[in-house]
Amino acid sequence: MPSGNKHPYPFKIVLGTLLSLAAISLVNNTVSFGGYTLRPLDILADFRTGAPVEDSALVAEAALADSLKADSLAAPIHKDFATYTGILDYGFNAGNEGAGMQHFMHALKELKTGRRKKVRIAYFGDSMIEGDLITADLRDSLQAYFGGEGVGFVPATSVVSGFRTTITHSFSPNWTDYHFRNNPPAGTELGPSGHAFVPAPESWVRYQPVKHHRLDQFEEVSLLYGKGRRNIIVNNKTLELKGKGKINAYSFMSDSTQRSLTLKFLNENPALFYGVCFESPSGIFLDNYSFRGISGIELGKLSRTMWDELQDVRPYDLIVLHYGANVLFWPENTKFDWYEKPMVKVVDSLRRYFPQTSFLIVGTADKAYKKKGKYVTAPGVKALMKVQHKFAESRSIAYWNLFSAMGGEGAMTRWVDTAMANRDYTHFNFRGASKVGALLYKAIMDEYQQADM
Amino acid sequence: MSFENLTSLLLYNREELPLFNSAFFLYFFTAFLFCYQLARKNERARVWVFTLFSLYFFYKACNEYVLLVILSAVVDFYISNRIHTEERNTVRKRLLWFSVAINVGMLCYFKYTNFFIQVINDVTAGNISPLNLVLPIGISFYTFENLSYTVDVYRREIKPVDKFMDYLFFLSFFPKLMMGPIVRAADFIPQIRKPYVLEMEDVGKGMFLIISGLFKKVVLSDFINQNFVQYIFDDPGRYSGIECLFGVYAYALVIYCDFSGYSDMAIGIARWLGFRLPANFDKPYRSSSITEFWRRWHISLSSWLKDYIYIPLGGNRKGTLRQYVNLMLTMLIGGFWHGASWNFICWGGVHGGALGIDKLWVQWQKTRGWMRETPLRARLWKAGGVLFTFHLVCFCWIFFRMEHFSGAWTLLGQITGEFRGHLLPQLLSAYPQVFILMAAGYFLHFLPPVAEKKLELGLQRMPVWASVAVMVTFIWFLNEVKTLEPMIPIYLQF
Repeated sequence: MPSGNKHPYPFKIVLGTLLSLAAISLVNNTVSFGGYTLRPLDILADFRTGAPVEDSALVAEAALADSLKADSLAAPIHKDFATYTGILDYGFNAGNEGAGMQHFMHALKELKTGRRKKVRIAYFGDSMIEGDLITADLRDSLQAYFGGEGVGFVPATSVVSGFRTTITHSFSPNWTDYHFRNNPPAGTELGPSGHAFVPAPESWVRYQPVKHHRLDQFEEVSLLYGKGRRNIIVNNKTLELKGKGKINAYSFMSDSTQRSLTLKFLNENPALFYGVCFESPSGIFLDNYSFRGISGIELGKLSRTMWDELQDVRPYDLIVLHYGANVLFWPENTKFDWYEKPMVKVVDSLRRYFPQTSFLIVGTADKAYKKKGKYVTAPGVKALMKVQHKFAESRSIAYWNLFSAMGGEGAMTRWVDTAMANRDYTHFNFRGASKVGALLYKAIMDEYQQADM
Repeated sequence: MSFENLTSLLLYNREELPLFNSAFFLYFFTAFLFCYQLARKNERARVWVFTLFSLYFFYKACNEYVLLVILSAVVDFYISNRIHTEERNTVRKRLLWFSVAINVGMLCYFKYTNFFIQVINDVTAGNISPLNLVLPIGISFYTFENLSYTVDVYRREIKPVDKFMDYLFFLSFFPKLMMGPIVRAADFIPQIRKPYVLEMEDVGKGMFLIISGLFKKVVLSDFINQNFVQYIFDDPGRYSGIECLFGVYAYALVIYCDFSGYSDMAIGIARWLGFRLPANFDKPYRSSSITEFWRRWHISLSSWLKDYIYIPLGGNRKGTLRQYVNLMLTMLIGGFWHGASWNFICWGGVHGGALGIDKLWVQWQKTRGWMRETPLRARLWKAGGVLFTFHLVCFCWIFFRMEHFSGAWTLLGQITGEFRGHLLPQLLSAYPQVFILMAAGYFLHFLPPVAEKKLELGLQRMPVWASVAVMVTFIWFLNEVKTLEPMIPIYLQF
């Protein structure tokens, strides 16, 4: 080894490294081995002039514009769905009353003019709405305008009970929760939330109202339960429930001297229990049916009988389907065939089960991912938006583009920067969810004001 | 290639900090080393080249605030010289207070004004609008360096530098700009006079520190933070207790690797340029008591706090009670130094309290020799101490990381009330890369120092071409890790 002062070494090492890396950057350096492809290395990126990048997002957009042109010939809607921030109601195009927003708007008018007592919304979604995010604000605004008090459906147990701010919910740890993801035994009828709960001896669940306008007392309470006979103790009073159908409801007025509602299960005969609904005798009500991690196609696992009976015990005027976050698992993927076909099947069957109900598809929110050190809208977002719009349009139901309502391209990054979304660049926080709830409320109310009835 | 790209790369850009792990730094460092080689033989030329490059680096990081470092160098250089030549004690004292007021005032203005406005608003229910202030990068570090220098001169522990450029060089020394370490003038200034001579040991050690620093920062810290920690801390209510607990363990590694990795790079770069900066971290999670932790964590800060706050407050010379008060005050100030929020003050307060309790505990067990009578018992106490200290530090990190107290309580509530330990296998399989890296990070942390020495020795013996090959391969690997698609959080069904 040469001796003496090694002062040139750092310079030589750094210069050698820089030149080698620059040389590597100048050639195509994508290396693959064993089926794994390394990402390209380009330390000269800062010097390159911004050559147009073949971005799949742009391709998707171009395709959108074309499809829109063709469609606009047939449809009376002349709005670019990719940028329109209101509700696009394809129900009107088909002249098919009920599938679009028409039935719901009609119900709202009747409610407002006193010709109807209740209007009910079932809002299905994934983790974007768990803990009553988005739906809490939408429900609150709707109830403020149309009347009604109460938080709607609350499951027996929930992974995010501590996170939910619209009700205080606690339960014993000995419940068994069957759901979409854990292969329930044959004959276990999952409820609309994708769960079915079996109490153990001494299982209990307690609900307490929270200090918030319209949520600070319980009025009309409905217990949703499965087939079979069982005794439960409701706030120290024994009640016998006889379930004839697959999904049954027992309703009663809450005792005004008792603030909270405690259910104890004696369980001489384990039978399925779904949850409790809180409403007032009249007004608008919204049930939040969230299930984390799903894409929406899981709803196809629920049985026709369950849906039919649900419609009997809890008729809905509007069904909202809000999915997408879990479809965009790989941000650069733009192919959603695996999702489109089964989801269309789900929509078709739901429409068959609820022929009189309005349907609204809430399109995917913006989702950003890190590309070259910066958070940008994932290419998959627009491609998914297009797929979701397509099945709304082809099935003549209503569509609301959350992506454009949020602000379109790059919106999620802006929402994260202004503390309205989490740093997973996917989920809203309370503030952001509140804003989404307000945006959807505005979109619904615009339709309501325009509805000509 | 275009000229505009080049100029935008060279000019200040608010969104792109000149981090050691950026492409910009590689260009900057090559250009600097080239000029430094040319100026090598002349001490003055070296000082000028180094200082100009450092000032440019400051400019690149914080635009016009580069003037602030020059201004504070001017002020402190002249005040210190006056303090040195002045014989009258009252005048010396006044000059010292003047310097302290300027430095602390400047730091307070930029770092704490909005915090105090918020406090006043909260107390008086007023609504004074916060000022539109940008925190000048590095100000927390060079303010403390100025203070220690002036105090040392006042105490007549060192002679002030006679050349202004030497002082500016010390203060602006670019390797320590962003994240320290806090360097003492007494250690640094004498090294300016020495010729630029490097041994193989310096080259190897420098390279080891740079590579291990980059590994800690880019691979361990950034990756684990981006793909796991920030999800948990953003929204702890959505995760079970076990996820939150692992989030805290992961954050403990993230903050250590981020901070110590950056310090290591700074020390390694300085070593390559002929300067020895003292180590800033010494495997802090191996500490078996909180007192030991503070001897191993951010050493340049804790020793600064000891010498310039704890001891001037009276240290342990004014009675036991006063000693505990001093300890607490020092840690509260130390906490506040980290950032303008109650969380940091609370973090410092808990550490201060823990240090006090640790002192009591040490005294209590002194009289109980049986506790450590046999080697096995001593070892068990040590292992218990390490585990306890680690968890105490982790507990404090929750307050350090969370922006609001409510988030910290939610996270603690999940760990204590919604633990759901049976989810562990699901959790591990949901984020495999994160947990492999975490295991590797903690394994390396507890590896005996001999293993590191071996690697260092290997790097020392390498010829230049081999070092280049190592660096190129390593940077290629970093590029791979850096550009991996971030994983989205997985909400476990629990």
